[in-house]
Amino acid sequence: MVDAQKDVSVKSVQVEALVVMKIVKHCSSSFPTTATGSIVGMDTNSLLEITNSFAFPTTEVTHTDSHQNNNNNSSNDASSLASAAPRAKANIAYQNDMIRHLKEVNVDANNVGWYTSATMGNFINMSFIENQYHYQKDNDKTVALVHDVSRSSQGALSLRAFKLSTDFMAAYKEGKFTTEILTKSKLTFNNILVEIPVIVHNSHLLTSFLHQIPALPETAEIPLPTSLDDIRRDPVRASAHPSFDSLDLSIDPFLEKTCDLLLDSIESHYTDLNNHQYYQRQLTREQFKITQWQTKRKAENAARVAAKQQPLPEDQWQTLFKLPQEPSRLEGMLNARQVEQYSKQVDGFTATITSKMFAVRGNLLPE
Amino acid sequence: MSRFFRGGDDSSSESSSDEEELYSGSGSEDEQEKKPEVKKAANKFLAGSDDDDSEDESDDENADEESDSSDSDAGQQKKGLSRFLVDQESSESEEEEVEGTTKVKSAKDKRFDELEATVNAIQNGQKINDWGSISNELEKLIRQVAKLQVGNKAPKLFIKCIAELEDFMNETLAKQKVTPKKMNATNARGLNAVKQRIKKNNKDYQDQIDAFRKDSDDFMESDEEVVQKPKPTKLKFSAAAAGEAEAEDDEGFATVGKGGRTLQFTPESILKHLRTIMESRGKKNTDRLEQIKIMEKLLEVAATPYQKIRVLMTLISARFDLGSGTATSMPLEHWKAAESELATLLKTLETEKDHVVLEGVEEWDDDEKAPVIAEGEKYIKIPGSIVSYIERLDDELTRSLQAIDPHTSEYIERLTDEGSLYNIIFQGLLYYEMLQKDASLEVPQESLNRVIQRRLDHVYFKPSQVIKILEENSWKQIPSSLDSSITPRTEANDAGHLINVLCNYLFENSDGIIRARAMLCQIYFLALHDDYYRARDMMLTSHLQENITNFDITSQILYNRTLVQVGLCAFRKGLVYDAQNTLQEICGSGRQKELLAQGVMIQRYSTVTPEQERLEKQRQLPFHMHINLELLECVYLTCSMLLEIPLLAQTGSSPDVKKRVISKTYRRMLEYHERQIFTGPPENTRDHVMQASKALAAGEWKKATTFIHEIKIWELMPNTEEIKTMLAKQIQEEGLRTYLFTYAPFYDTLAVETLSSMFELDTRKVSAVVSKMISHEELAAALDQVTETVIFRKGVELSRLQSLALTLSDKASALIETNERTLEQRTQGSTNAFNRREQRGGQRGGGQRGGRGGPRTGGNTQRQAGGTQFTGGALGAAVRG
Repeated sequence: MVDAQKDVSVKSVQVEALVVMKIVKHCSSSFPTTATGSIVGMDTNSLLEITNSFAFPTTEVTHTDSHQNNNNNSSNDASSLASAAPRAKANIAYQNDMIRHLKEVNVDANNVGWYTSATMGNFINMSFIENQYHYQKDNDKTVALVHDVSRSSQGALSLRAFKLSTDFMAAYKEGKFTTEILTKSKLTFNNILVEIPVIVHNSHLLTSFLHQIPALPETAEIPLPTSLDDIRRDPVRASAHPSFDSLDLSIDPFLEKTCDLLLDSIESHYTDLNNHQYYQRQLTREQFKITQWQTKRKAENAARVAAKQQPLPEDQWQTLFKLPQEPSRLEGMLNARQVEQYSKQVDGFTATITSKMFAVRGNLLPE
Repeated sequence: MSRFFRGGDDSSSESSSDEEELYSGSGSEDEQEKKPEVKKAANKFLAGSDDDDSEDESDDENADEESDSSDSDAGQQKKGLSRFLVDQESSESEEEEVEGTTKVKSAKDKRFDELEATVNAIQNGQKINDWGSISNELEKLIRQVAKLQVGNKAPKLFIKCIAELEDFMNETLAKQKVTPKKMNATNARGLNAVKQRIKKNNKDYQDQIDAFRKDSDDFMESDEEVVQKPKPTKLKFSAAAAGEAEAEDDEGFATVGKGGRTLQFTPESILKHLRTIMESRGKKNTDRLEQIKIMEKLLEVAATPYQKIRVLMTLISARFDLGSGTATSMPLEHWKAAESELATLLKTLETEKDHVVLEGVEEWDDDEKAPVIAEGEKYIKIPGSIVSYIERLDDELTRSLQAIDPHTSEYIERLTDEGSLYNIIFQGLLYYEMLQKDASLEVPQESLNRVIQRRLDHVYFKPSQVIKILEENSWKQIPSSLDSSITPRTEANDAGHLINVLCNYLFENSDGIIRARAMLCQIYFLALHDDYYRARDMMLTSHLQENITNFDITSQILYNRTLVQVGLCAFRKGLVYDAQNTLQEICGSGRQKELLAQGVMIQRYSTVTPEQERLEKQRQLPFHMHINLELLECVYLTCSMLLEIPLLAQTGSSPDVKKRVISKTYRRMLEYHERQIFTGPPENTRDHVMQASKALAAGEWKKATTFIHEIKIWELMPNTEEIKTMLAKQIQEEGLRTYLFTYAPFYDTLAVETLSSMFELDTRKVSAVVSKMISHEELAAALDQVTETVIFRKGVELSRLQSLALTLSDKASALIETNERTLEQRTQGSTNAFNRREQRGGQRGGGQRGGRGGPRTGGNTQRQAGGTQFTGGALGAAVRG
């Protein structure tokens, strides 16, 4: 995360436990569909504190909009609608209203970004970029929180904060992603997004509550109560169950899913590749035609000069021929970033799963 | 017209007399040479003024002036501008005049008058610098002179005229180079025409012109005599030939007109006639039919073999000229005539052993005398190429066959001519063989090769019975005294041997394309006669598939045809896999028609220029050589079915199913067929095969067999029944394989007995098939010999994750390949390209590669990154991270 240091604006994100809980609840309740919402908070120096969040009213939008959209184009489904929600007009108004209301109850009333749910890390797409750009173009200190529902369900909370790099912001503003510009701006899929470390912060109240939750008994043997009084005075308090989710050994589903997603990504990469190859073929053809035309015109001019006539202009080809438009490389870049995301995911997954496997193996081996 | 010219004549005669006076006065050559100079000067001046003024006017003026001056001056001077013309004219007119006054006006005299008039016109043209009219008149003049020629001598008048015209022209040209102004278009064009005309024409009369140049005086004087001389002959001629000659003359005039020859067909004049005909060859406005008629008559009178041969050769070429248009073929009657004439020619050559027709031999120049055998030579060599005639005749037949609708009786009628053509080729072959026996003739090997190639072209695609008949017929044609050293008479009955001999001869004596073609023809023949293994081995040892693309298109077509024939042969042998493999290249492309030159494809996307289309049409094979496309498709689809259906069952729904496609064409058809909601009973071949495929996939092999057997087109194959039995057997086996692939997961054990009863196959056969599948690792099972059962092993199939991982690794390595290829492409030829790339495009190129390879950035150079390596990489990274 070398680039993170470059963007001095926000160095880390501190998320309140409340926000985490709200996001987790919202995202998992709407699970296969994408859920999005807005987050509020404030920034102090390089630390961005996220203190509250609220969901976008996706369902309503889905209802009304999908009805309308069904007439227009039926391809829109709830998920894509929801993912586009943060920059929908109705939602901007809703967000502003909400922030005003929050202000009235004395909550931090600065919009600091948005959150979205994801499945297996498949959040990197045009919609994500557009949303983040929508926020970041007004206020540089905004982030996108991504909560991966399927990964969180395996035990470990997966909440990550991203923002667009300044380079990318500049390039996106231009709206051109040709090879030339990319080489010039040294923009690659690696530095589209900047990941910011997330710290979950509990309020003191919450911390003290957590401390009251009884821990596991320190000794295996609990001294039996000797009298009824003992029981009355010191009732057995059930301790919080440890999470056994993290001991889950099912490797296949996760890897299969990731493989599928990777294959999809590779497919789309090929599509992109084909588009680009098509463009290159077109370009060579056009350029060949142009050179032909130029040599012809040069010969003609030479003849005309010999005949003491005015030479014809040699730059006419610009009007005569039209070079094909280079397809945007953005899709490809995002795709590459997505693949990287998947690979890292697998990497991380295998790291934890390997240790588990070793543990299991140790148990299974005959002594 | 004549009035005017007469007037002109008068004046010129006057002037000529003046001239004569001058000549006589000066009497020296010097004088005469000076004069042209003066004239030249005047010329120049006048021309210059011409250019300055508006041309027409000045021309007129000049003309006026000149005529004035001519009046006042000595006659020659007046011709200043156009001295030559006038000179000539005057000289000619002088002759004419003399003649005209002294002689009775015969037809010849009349012609002389005309000539004179033309010469006059040319002179006038010269005066006013009107090259347009000069060119016209010159044309006329040359034509007229042709009539008046006596022996090799043209009229003096004419010689003078053209000699002077040439000088004048050169002068004008020289002037033109100096003056910046251009002539007007018609003039320039005229000048050019004259220039070319003169160049060509004057060559013929070079001697006389030289004589004239050398000593125009003498020349002119001798004129008188010469003119006198022809007179008596003329008179004699007219007297001798009397009315007949007269009549013939007139008639000749009427019929020949343009050619301007008197038609007298005597053995002596034959060669002369031929020469004029040859000269007019290829020119515009020559009536070819007329010439042919003349030559036919000439042939009748031809006396010596030399004449006969010459006439025949010219006649044949003239006939070929008729069909020289790009699109049309030669008219039928002319083809037949040419064929019979070629036969006569060959016969004549055969009987007259001392005459040989060779390429690149010097022509016998003298039309007057008959050629004689030179000292130390055995033969009279006549330039010409029999092999070209034969080839042309063959090509013309092909062309006319292309043009005829193959489903009419006309086509069949035309096709019968192939027999006679074959005879011609055969006789030609014999003739060349005979020539080659004499080493002194130095017959190029190539001619013989070409004839043999033609012969081969006519037999290679035919069944041996047909070839036998063909051979017998052609042997009947020739006298028994003749025999061929290459293909002896005694061995004529064995077609296979014939082909072998012909091909071997070509292998030994030729190279390049002919050799390759001979090879292909032999392979084709072998494949046609079910000699698959020999055909295949020859095909493989020829290494033609590597360099066939460098050959010309007709050879490529032959290659394709051969390939298809080999494939069909393999099918007939029951070698389904080989057949499919061989046919794949042609049939899989979907362009069979085009590749086999059996029809023009309508191309949807690329526009074809008419030129290309025409060429394409020319390449088409005549119908009788076609390979039945429907049969071909049927064979191809059936083979594909037999291979694809088990494969489909084997791959099932695994993700890399796309990778293993044997025939894309077949897959597409199958998919299309499966998309149909209602399928009616099959109508065409394709439907039959598709429905059979469906039945086979479902294990209903009996149904599949019926479907395949219902296909009508099998009737076209020899031994239909055998092929059907073979197919039924194949379907049974493939059905068994398909069944095993599809239902293996549901069985623990399966008795061979059961399978054998299900597919009505011998138990031994079933065990064989199963063993084969097991040994190829297509089936996870074991064969229990004791209980005669197949025991399936469980849990050996790949899990979904495993297969996914395999696919992924394949894809990843494919991506790496692509990247490396791109890198190679970008950096080819520059040594430090790698470094530059690192610096410049490091982020993009390198980054992408890193991205594809995941965190394992360093590992993507390993080409054969298999699945295990990937897992290892991921694990390794996990350990590191």
